Amino acid sequence: MRRTIRTAALTGILLVPLVISAPGDWGAFTSAQPAPSYIYQGTVRAVNARAGTLELITGVGMSLRVVRLNTAPTTRLVAAGAAPRLADLKPGDVVRAEGRRTAAGLVADRVEKLAVGAR
Amino acid sequence: MTRPWVVLALLLLTVGCQKPVKPGDPLRGLSRAERDRFDRGKVVFDSVFTPETGLGPLFNSTGCGECHEGPAGGRGDEVEVHATAFHAPVCDPLAQEGGPVIQQHTTPALKQALGIDQEPFPPSATARALRTSPVIFGRGLLDLVPDSALLAYADPDDRNHDGVKGRPNHFVDGRIGRFGRKGFVPTLREFNAGAFAAEMSVTNPAQPTEEDVGGKPLPAGVDPAPDPEINQEQLDLTDDFVRFLAPPTPLKLGKDGRHGRDLFSQIGCATCHIPTLRTGYSPVQALSNQEFAAYTDLLLHDMGADLADICLGLATPADFRTEPLLDLRGAEHFLHDGRATTLEQAIELHGGEGSGARDRFKGLAAADRAALVAFLKSL
Repeated sequence: MRRTIRTAALTGILLVPLVISAPGDWGAFTSAQPAPSYIYQGTVRAVNARAGTLELITGVGMSLRVVRLNTAPTTRLVAAGAAPRLADLKPGDVVRAEGRRTAAGLVADRVEKLAVGAR
Repeated sequence: MTRPWVVLALLLLTVGCQKPVKPGDPLRGLSRAERDRFDRGKVVFDSVFTPETGLGPLFNSTGCGECHEGPAGGRGDEVEVHATAFHAPVCDPLAQEGGPVIQQHTTPALKQALGIDQEPFPPSATARALRTSPVIFGRGLLDLVPDSALLAYADPDDRNHDGVKGRPNHFVDGRIGRFGRKGFVPTLREFNAGAFAAEMSVTNPAQPTEEDVGGKPLPAGVDPAPDPEINQEQLDLTDDFVRFLAPPTPLKLGKDGRHGRDLFSQIGCATCHIPTLRTGYSPVQALSNQEFAAYTDLLLHDMGADLADICLGLATPADFRTEPLLDLRGAEHFLHDGRATTLEQAIELHGGEGSGARDRFKGLAAADRAALVAFLKSL
């Protein structure tokens, strides 16, 4: 019993940083578990305000990937203190999106439009 | 009283007798542990990957050393293909169609599944670029030049009216870039991790997902190795190997070469090819607060319509990052795509912001042009 608890605790400790930093579409989590949170910072590739979706270009070095995010009525949009609408975002904008994986895909909880330039 | 002078004389003798750094050598002054990591990193760098150890299904090369060779970290003769779409002012790197790096080979399993020999060229591309493999000596030093130093050289509005602007590129997440021919990637670590994924499709802890094929998912069974295909230690060791590769010592200049070096500054080459840069702090003493011969400002400059190819980040098709002039004496091809076979041709192909210096070079007497080229061949 003690060994089982220890194994579970160790697994939890090992998985937490993976979930927090997960840059890709890791689909290993079932809906029975709490939705893991994801943070992406990237360039807007496409916005579909009517469908409430957003595509971001993210990646490492020259290896780039597209991340598709859904928004919900509860998604907060932020830009330098203002509260833009999804339709105000345009390709080329740099945003930081925080979200979670659901059965319907990634859902953004917060999308912040950023000023660029810091290393 | 004589003893300190003897020690000083011995020290000067030792410094004076130091062997020149050859291409592929590690930085001087590495600790024993750092040198050990350099040696172990070289083993990973020189590894040849197979589908069973992570290669592909799409790839440009089977290992780092296949393109950066002769010696490890040097130039190869491979040329790869990049593609993006430019809809001014926005650049789409076409990640949704497999861009910006379009892999030129497939593993046997992918070929059998899809019948393709290379990644399909993105249908939405507005331009295609060829890229030679650069030398990667001295990249650890370039990585440590503070952003503030780059920004100090930037003059996007040409306020000094010298016809040369210069501005930093930005990565997709908004950070200032400096690596790659378009100065797109912010750090050496990311460039190396991205190269494993983009060049060999070797997934790693920084990029744990495989690229799809032109935007379509990989067919089942074509990627036998579990992700990530190398672990953090292998990635870190490779990164340290590249980071610790020293810039080769320039050859000793003769009278002509010294004259050429003066001309290099006088005709304006040094406005972008800044001769020396200084690193910031690093826990690696051999990299920390070092002044080194860089011959770059790591900024983007408009090089004219004749050289233009793809956009990337904020770089327009005509924008290129000033190439660091390292190990030129070992080069047989010049410019981002290797189209120039001599240094004279490379200079004469400079356009846009480089046209002033190019025209002044062309206006020099033949002996002066030869002196300038002799200087460049010493690097």
